[in-house]
Amino acid sequence: MNQNQKEQVVITVLGANKPGILAGITRAIADANVNVEDVSQKIMQDLFALMMMTDFSQANCSFETFQSRMQEVADQLKVRIFIQHEDVFRFQHRL
Amino acid sequence: MLFSLEEVIETISQVGVETFDIRTITCGINLHSCIDPDVNRCAEKVYEKVVKIAKDLVPTARAIEKKFGIPIVNKRISVSPIAHLAGAFTEPTAVPIAYALDQAAKDLGIDYVAGFSALIQKGITRGDQILLNSIPDALCQTDRVCSSVNIGSSQAGINMDGVYRMAEIVKEAAERSKDKNGLACAKLVVFCNAVEDNPFIAGSFHGPGEGEAILNVGISGPGVVRAALENAGNLSFGELAELIKKVSFKITRVGELVGREASKATGIPFGIIDLSLAPTPAEGDSISDILELMGLERTGCHGTTAALAMLNDAVKKGGMMAATYAGGLSGAFIPLTEDAGMCRAVEAGALNIQKLEAMTCVCSVGLDMVAIPGDTPVDVIAGIIADEAAIGMINHKTTACRLIPVPGMVAGDVVDFGGLLGKGPIIAVSKEMPTVFVRRGGRIPPPVHSMKN
Repeated sequence: MNQNQKEQVVITVLGANKPGILAGITRAIADANVNVEDVSQKIMQDLFALMMMTDFSQANCSFETFQSRMQEVADQLKVRIFIQHEDVFRFQHRL
Repeated sequence: MLFSLEEVIETISQVGVETFDIRTITCGINLHSCIDPDVNRCAEKVYEKVVKIAKDLVPTARAIEKKFGIPIVNKRISVSPIAHLAGAFTEPTAVPIAYALDQAAKDLGIDYVAGFSALIQKGITRGDQILLNSIPDALCQTDRVCSSVNIGSSQAGINMDGVYRMAEIVKEAAERSKDKNGLACAKLVVFCNAVEDNPFIAGSFHGPGEGEAILNVGISGPGVVRAALENAGNLSFGELAELIKKVSFKITRVGELVGREASKATGIPFGIIDLSLAPTPAEGDSISDILELMGLERTGCHGTTAALAMLNDAVKKGGMMAATYAGGLSGAFIPLTEDAGMCRAVEAGALNIQKLEAMTCVCSVGLDMVAIPGDTPVDVIAGIIADEAAIGMINHKTTACRLIPVPGMVAGDVVDFGGLLGKGPIIAVSKEMPTVFVRRGGRIPPPVHSMKN
């Protein structure tokens, strides 16, 4: 991976709202040296919905390792997490 | 932000709630370089070539699944029609090639390998004959090998000798796999106007006009279309078509992305994306459910053919813009046992084989995964194949039969093939005999290609 080239990954978190979700998720992201570039968060009928655009290019672990680490954090917080390359959204929603 | 939260959740819901997946990445491989008079030596070469070219297919597909969060259900291989190799064999059998393909598939973690095939629409060569005679053994003695035979085309007409021979082979394959309810027939397709780049099993093969190797992608997405219609309310036909086109565009785009990524990772060129909506036995992932949401009390009632025609056309229009190269079969599949909604329609008495045949005039393939009574005579099976081929020949479209005469079962019984092949009722066939007609011998001449009224 070119050091200057971004690798944009979308992280989505869905679950019942309670204190500490945002803190727990962002701590784990920071530990992997993944840079958060944009955040969008809503409470939709008590459902906590969080989406983050991140740059994975400087991460200190592989994509799969990151996915499994984040899954562990999500399990502890009892939320669902989706970590997907941004291309899948770009292909579907942008011409 | 590049995307809204709603857009991201829409994509996630397609997979999590609406059972969207990539049905298959199929790697087509040209095997003509493996030709050898010694069938066993040829089988060795086939094994080596398949393993060499497709070695990265499964790991690549797994990595793509993780990267995009989209399941890729099947990883498949299609090969050149084996009849093309069989013409050179000194010994009149092609079964060792089926073993080699099966072994290669197992060693690579490939779900199915297809192309144990022959193209006999105009005549039957020695190689075709060897292939045809080897089909029952090949299907009964392997797990992952699929076979298809093209018996007609709009250009050549219908080879009725081929039709009759295929009816015999269907019957024999069913009898020889009776301990598995005739499962061998689920791996056997009889085509008219077969296409060379179809990624879907069992009818896939790597056509003579294709390159050395290619990646073709097939998607599945009836559940996504169904969900969109459920939330849509009362729409006119124009609005309905527009909605289906949009959904079809979005799911096809994911197929396009997966094809491009897989091609980049494996170095094998991306061929086509097949726009077909392939149902699965999963609840809600059904073409029949879509038709009923369009306003039919039950699939099979009058109006069904019109509804399916509109769905099929809208799916193509939406998908075409999403794909660089569309190909394969591209339409709405209506495999009976693989679609729980279709099975319910048969069980309710709303859908019979005659209406199903009418539906195949406007859908992408034909009488697919249709389980019929085990005692159906060869002559009747030949009649069904001939009718289906005639629809394809006259309408310049692909039609096919994947019929399973389930040994020991009668109309109304339920057969379970397991997995994606599904579970469904045995459908009744006509009792009257077409014997004299189907045994006349020769070829039905091709239709006139002008004066289309």
